[in-house]
Amino acid sequence: MTNPARDYWRSLEELADSPDFAAVVEREVPRFRDVLDKFDRRQFLTLMAASMALAGLSGCGPEPNPQQRLPYVEAPPGVVPGRQRYYATAHTRDGYAEGVLLAHEMARPIKVEGNPDHPASLGAAGAITQASILSLYNPRRAQTVVGPGQISSWEGFVAALYRRREQLLKKRGEGLRLLTGTITSPSLGAQIAALQTAFPAMRWHQWEPLHRDNELAADQMAYGRPVARVFDLAAADVIFAVDSDLISAAPGWLAYARQFAARRRPDETGGKMSRVYAIESTPTLIGAKADHRLPMRPVEVAASVRFLAGAVGAGPSQWTEIQSPHRDWLKEAAADLTANKGHALVHAGREQSIEIHLLVELINAALGAHGNTVRLIEPPVVSPTLHLQSLSELVGDMQAGKVDTLLILDTNPAYSAPADIPFAAALKRVPFSVSLSLFADESALLATWQVPAKHEYEAWGDARAFDGTATIQQPQVRPLYGGHAPSEVLAVLQGNTQPDDLTLVRQFWQRQQGAGSAAEGNPQSLAGDAGGGQTGPQSSGSSQPALAAAEAFEAFWHEALRRGVVANTAAPPLTLTPKAGLAEGLRPLPLGGEAAIDLLFRPDEGLWDGRHAENPWLLELARTFTRLTWDNAALIAPATAKKHGVKTGDVVAIATRYGATKAPVFVLPGQAPDTATLWLGWGRQAGALAEGVGFDAYRLRGAAEPWLARATRFEKTGETYRLATTQGHDRVAGRDLIREFTLDRFNNDPEYVKQKSKDVSLYPGYIYPDRAWAMAIDLNSCIGCQACTIACQAENNVPTVGKDMVHFGRIMHWLRIDRYYSGSPDDPDVAFEPMPCMHCENAPCEVVCPVHATVHDHEGLNLMVYNRCVGTRFCSNNCPYKVRRFNFYDFAAATERPPESWNPDVSVRGRGVMEKCTYCIQRIKVKEIEAERDGRKLRDGEVVTACQQSCPTQAIVFGDRNDSHSHVARRKATPLDYVLLDDLNTRPRTSYAAIVHNPNPAIGKEQS
Amino acid sequence: MSLPGELPADEPIVAPAVTMSSLSFEVSSRVLRPGAPRWWWIGFGFSFALFILLVIQLAWLFIFGIGVWGVNIPVAWGFAISEYVWWIALASGGTIISALFHITRQPWRAATNRIAETMLLSAIPCAGLMPIMHLGRQGLFYWLFPYSSVMGVWPQVRSPLWWDFICLFCYILMSIMYYYTGLLSDLATVRDLARSRFKQIFYGVLALGWRGSSREWRNHKIVYAIMSAIMAPMVISVHSVVGLDFAGGLTTGWHDTQFPPYFFFGAVISGTAVIVMLTIIVRWGYRLQDVITQYHLNAMAKVVLVGSLLLAYAYLWEAFGSIYSSDIAEYTEYMHRMFGFTAAGFWAEKALVVIIPQLLWLPAVRRNQTMLFLISGGIIVGMWIERYVFTTASLEHNYMPSYWGLFYPTFWDWAALAGTIGLFLTMFFVLIRLVPIVSMAEVRDIIEKKKRGEA
Amino acid sequence: MAIFGPSANLLTKAVLLAGTGLFLILLLMVWVVPVMGYNSQERYAPQQPVPFSHKHHVSGLGLDCRYCHDKVEVSSNAGMPPTETCMTCHSQVWTRADVLAPVRQSLAQGVNLRWTSVYVLPDYVFFDHSIHIAKGVGCTDCHGPIGDMALTWKATTLYMSWCLDCHRNPAPHLRPRDQVFNPHWVPGPNTPSGAELMKAYDIHPERLTDCGTCHR
Repeated sequence: MTNPARDYWRSLEELADSPDFAAVVEREVPRFRDVLDKFDRRQFLTLMAASMALAGLSGCGPEPNPQQRLPYVEAPPGVVPGRQRYYATAHTRDGYAEGVLLAHEMARPIKVEGNPDHPASLGAAGAITQASILSLYNPRRAQTVVGPGQISSWEGFVAALYRRREQLLKKRGEGLRLLTGTITSPSLGAQIAALQTAFPAMRWHQWEPLHRDNELAADQMAYGRPVARVFDLAAADVIFAVDSDLISAAPGWLAYARQFAARRRPDETGGKMSRVYAIESTPTLIGAKADHRLPMRPVEVAASVRFLAGAVGAGPSQWTEIQSPHRDWLKEAAADLTANKGHALVHAGREQSIEIHLLVELINAALGAHGNTVRLIEPPVVSPTLHLQSLSELVGDMQAGKVDTLLILDTNPAYSAPADIPFAAALKRVPFSVSLSLFADESALLATWQVPAKHEYEAWGDARAFDGTATIQQPQVRPLYGGHAPSEVLAVLQGNTQPDDLTLVRQFWQRQQGAGSAAEGNPQSLAGDAGGGQTGPQSSGSSQPALAAAEAFEAFWHEALRRGVVANTAAPPLTLTPKAGLAEGLRPLPLGGEAAIDLLFRPDEGLWDGRHAENPWLLELARTFTRLTWDNAALIAPATAKKHGVKTGDVVAIATRYGATKAPVFVLPGQAPDTATLWLGWGRQAGALAEGVGFDAYRLRGAAEPWLARATRFEKTGETYRLATTQGHDRVAGRDLIREFTLDRFNNDPEYVKQKSKDVSLYPGYIYPDRAWAMAIDLNSCIGCQACTIACQAENNVPTVGKDMVHFGRIMHWLRIDRYYSGSPDDPDVAFEPMPCMHCENAPCEVVCPVHATVHDHEGLNLMVYNRCVGTRFCSNNCPYKVRRFNFYDFAAATERPPESWNPDVSVRGRGVMEKCTYCIQRIKVKEIEAERDGRKLRDGEVVTACQQSCPTQAIVFGDRNDSHSHVARRKATPLDYVLLDDLNTRPRTSYAAIVHNPNPAIGKEQS
Repeated sequence: MSLPGELPADEPIVAPAVTMSSLSFEVSSRVLRPGAPRWWWIGFGFSFALFILLVIQLAWLFIFGIGVWGVNIPVAWGFAISEYVWWIALASGGTIISALFHITRQPWRAATNRIAETMLLSAIPCAGLMPIMHLGRQGLFYWLFPYSSVMGVWPQVRSPLWWDFICLFCYILMSIMYYYTGLLSDLATVRDLARSRFKQIFYGVLALGWRGSSREWRNHKIVYAIMSAIMAPMVISVHSVVGLDFAGGLTTGWHDTQFPPYFFFGAVISGTAVIVMLTIIVRWGYRLQDVITQYHLNAMAKVVLVGSLLLAYAYLWEAFGSIYSSDIAEYTEYMHRMFGFTAAGFWAEKALVVIIPQLLWLPAVRRNQTMLFLISGGIIVGMWIERYVFTTASLEHNYMPSYWGLFYPTFWDWAALAGTIGLFLTMFFVLIRLVPIVSMAEVRDIIEKKKRGEA
Repeated sequence: MAIFGPSANLLTKAVLLAGTGLFLILLLMVWVVPVMGYNSQERYAPQQPVPFSHKHHVSGLGLDCRYCHDKVEVSSNAGMPPTETCMTCHSQVWTRADVLAPVRQSLAQGVNLRWTSVYVLPDYVFFDHSIHIAKGVGCTDCHGPIGDMALTWKATTLYMSWCLDCHRNPAPHLRPRDQVFNPHWVPGPNTPSGAELMKAYDIHPERLTDCGTCHR
């Protein structure tokens, strides 16, 4: 079978070889600008993807025919066929580590799961983190070193860089520049420091498109030094969120989400709940969960924060004299905060202005949050920098010709730089530039050297979490497509021509442990058993103390690898107080009231800053609020849409001082009026899957206003664009799908809360004497992060289908999250409802299948027997919950994914077969078999479904309903528990806990 | 009293001029004539072109999968199922005319039942093909047969689809036998009148050595009567079970106890309508005005009218049920059907099937073949729309608002429809070319009776 | 002149009769073909890189099954022995034997041996060796007289109905835990009855026939 991917790469390389390659790109660019043009490109690419059935196959050498069995020559220790083993490492987002465990089947990583021992994970893992397994296997990753004008090799590159080094040493590193993203890796930090001493004139620049400059600047003002914050939401009775990403994206969000949810379950906390206020310009997860939410334009947000500061005594009191419809609302909120001094918390999102960050800091100080709900710590980031400044300086020097050697490590400024910082153009003036990247991205294609990077799961490294805790990252698999780690590239500059990341990381930690060079060991053999992470310490060296030190280090090393956490590395707390008189020093707010559109730049939920743009799972993940897949859009409020006479799907021309583009409009209830939210990370110009998908919002983004830009043009073009969303209707349409109560009602009127379930039947229900598997989903806890959707997709081999199929209504996700609105479209209440299979005891799907392809088992599972299914699809018609998915085409075969990356415990479904959530039956069976083998009963919590495992807030609980002590039985016992469409008498096993709000009685609903 | 233009009570069923021998000769000559008339070639050519389209459609479907159609989740049943219902209704119509009215001793059935049965025979493969094409894994349809091979599992008898499969299977077998039995003596007649040796042998073999002895006639009459007695209730049950395919579901708009009779009404009207159309064509094409007279058309027109009234009742009941129902889902679904995405189809169907056919109250209209032809055509289209609307609309607005969706047919959906029509017409044209299109045996009876009446 | 002579009657009857017969035969095939050995490959011994004899190793030398299939008690997959396992002995005995050349080559060059599976289950069937052994199902219950096979041949049809026979009525196939790996086991006078073993192993046949037991 010919392999389009290979062809694709070859052509790209040929392209890259041609001297006038840059010119080619220039010529190409305008074509991408045209939104309509994306149509054909998309379809072409989808077709191509579809034609790439089993692309990965060609990657794995001579195929043994399925009849053959290839036993090991020497069996690796501890590998048991058909049983999964876990190895700890970390996945980084913006440089911050999230601890993960990778499930291995026959020494092949197949799934990413959270590491319970890691503070930033606590066992949960977000959608992006879990989807990273697909990037690891992605056959479209960069695979060849490309030098100036021709395909080269790693050795060729090392030689070139080494020669370069000689020259640089002569001029003390004059003209040598390093460009990285945010780095929390201690070893890398040390390496860079070492370089700095070797090349005094070298300069290190940082560029992270989703930088936290404003926070840093505010800290500089408040404390004169960078700090980092660790929040304690468990201690926070009142939370005030200002466009906050606290439980959706901030470093440590998984941990925060868990603390947050723990305070939102009145049935488990004795009728107590935290109260959440949110003011925001665009919907956020915490805003959706808030008891009081106000959508407001950025100017109003600023004014409101000032009001708050004034009201709680963190700023001049005249700030409280504002004319705002929300004045009373803010007054009450402020009163609530002051009333809960020491238990209150205010948080502003990364995108907010320096002033707001500063004021929030002052307010927290005034509320006595510091030391209680907020802990200031030494920042885990290596040398925090103002990224925008750093990048613009670099580009300035590049244009001035002061830069002759540029190393770009794992960042892609050619794509993500602000429109008024012409990095791409400047890069052409750098005689020797190197781009180390996972994909042949925009920067790589422009650099003189493109070097494939190792994926995080292929490399040795380390990284710190939001609280400073360090993790040593161990490779999970040999580099699949070649590739090298940043540390290796830097090592070459240090003069090491045979760099090896294991040695580099080990040596660093040996120094840390003060073990010196004694326990040099021999890295290679160690790579083996360290990879195994099991074998005991091995000795080497000669002298007695050295030996002891060596063994001590081995013990430390293996423990660190095994747990995925380096013990006691959390950053020490700082006790600082903000400088006085800062608030008074602030200039009065500009009166930005006129009705132009404010453009809000936000990271995309899936593609993030664009680095995950090649990941089909994330491209197809329906965005939380819009349920939009395979595209980004300009999100505007219904009122704004009316004003501009546009509706969802209309294409508007948007321009700022920095650039212009066209974008389809999406009308989003809850968006602030006269604002448009644009997701970054789309409209890539390099890459195969993501190329030209969506539009590139970076083009509108300027260095001066990275998060908020005033649109100079926002006009309907008359064109329309087809957006593929997954939700049919936004409201419950009279069905009893979402139950909501106030905390007051919950505490004082339990009878009302316990609404009679209507499933009465003349016939006796079936008796389940042994086990009765069931699931309880707590809608209070569900924050709509969609980690479960990706977890399910990864665990159950759920294929992606592409935009067109999604648009046809053929998306395959077994577990979807329904998002329902209630109330006015301008400021609706939002409810999230995860929808797996309900596993009805009276399953309507079962009776109508003519061939017994879907049946019940004796533990109450509604089984789906793929190999018996003939595809009448009657079961889907008859499923009131619409949780069944059908393989209209051979989606699995068309999914661009090497066979070795699929989960071997789950059948891969072929064409014409129905499928659905199975409660992860493969996990149930494995545990059952283990228990039966040991002749014992299954323990509660032993079987964990993929969705439950990944959920940051523990909203999903699974277990044996018959065991009254089981967690699920306790959840189902709460008065809040209810099942969907109970009047159909389907008797679902999946039940939900109703939503409870904790409104401030002083604030009327009409205000919030 | 009689309305103006009403056929006189003594309107002859068969034109007086027709005698035994002339009848045999007239009818057989249509079959035995060397070449086919031009109208036949045109009709056949057109049909065969469509039939080729069906073949292409099948190839495309089997190669790329069910995804080439517009079906999706939630609308997992699209054209294939609604057209299956539509075809089986047409077929049933044929049986109703030939079997039901044979039992009830309707004299006018005699000249039209062969057309009816020919239509039935041509419609049945179309009906049978639809559900098989509809499957996700078409090759495995035989898993619905109650045979236990090496798998050790059996079909599920609780599923309406399985009942339907069995009913359809029996119905197809029965229909073929019924048709052939009725045909025997006529084949013999043609054999006897045939001149060329080939035709003699061809029809001779088909006639199974029928001699026309009184013993043969007696047995034949008994067998045929028994078969009719079986067919009549069978056709009712078959179509009721088709109704249960839907009523057996939990889906909004389907879960309705009236479906079995409702579907049967549909069969009556659409079946008769298509027979009216074909009769008019054949009568004109083969110039059989003497044998197939105004009387027949008039009678069938009345049947159509009755069918339309029955359906009207069913529609009213359906509307009442949905709107009066306390079930919000039922209600919203019906509103969607009436005023939503499918509104156009909904009202068109009501007009074509219920309102326009009321013209048939007027004898003048019943007499006017063009009008009759157009009204019948309208009814058939209307019935197709009806099947399509209630199949998809119900699924579009299901219980789960988050999963409401719409159905857009693709080119291949239409190809399947056109293709099966091609198959139907091709078979029909071939059959009317090869077999006597009027049951001579039974018409002879009528002439005989008439004679005796005079004597 | 008559077209059909008197013989036509007979002919017709004959044809009708033959037709019916043919139809019945075809119908019969539906049942007959699958149970024919060539279809299920029952008793078929595929070509192997090394003509390994269980008879010699098990009955002759008395090796335990688990010496080579060492994961069988803990894994879903009995597993084929790695080359090094073969070489534990064959580095000492038969070191020059030509038949073992592939094995030596495998170890020397580090290339896997390629055995041909005798028992191939479809991908949608998830069979687990460990649980069957834990529940007292002997090797020979599925693998036939494996201990006496000079060349390994397929002892069963592996049809679903064959699986179900046992899953519907496990009792006759159970034996005491310590006899599971005995290739020549025959129930003795004081062997506990199947019913007793069922109780002892806590086996619930009704749950064994849940589709999810094998299909996931």
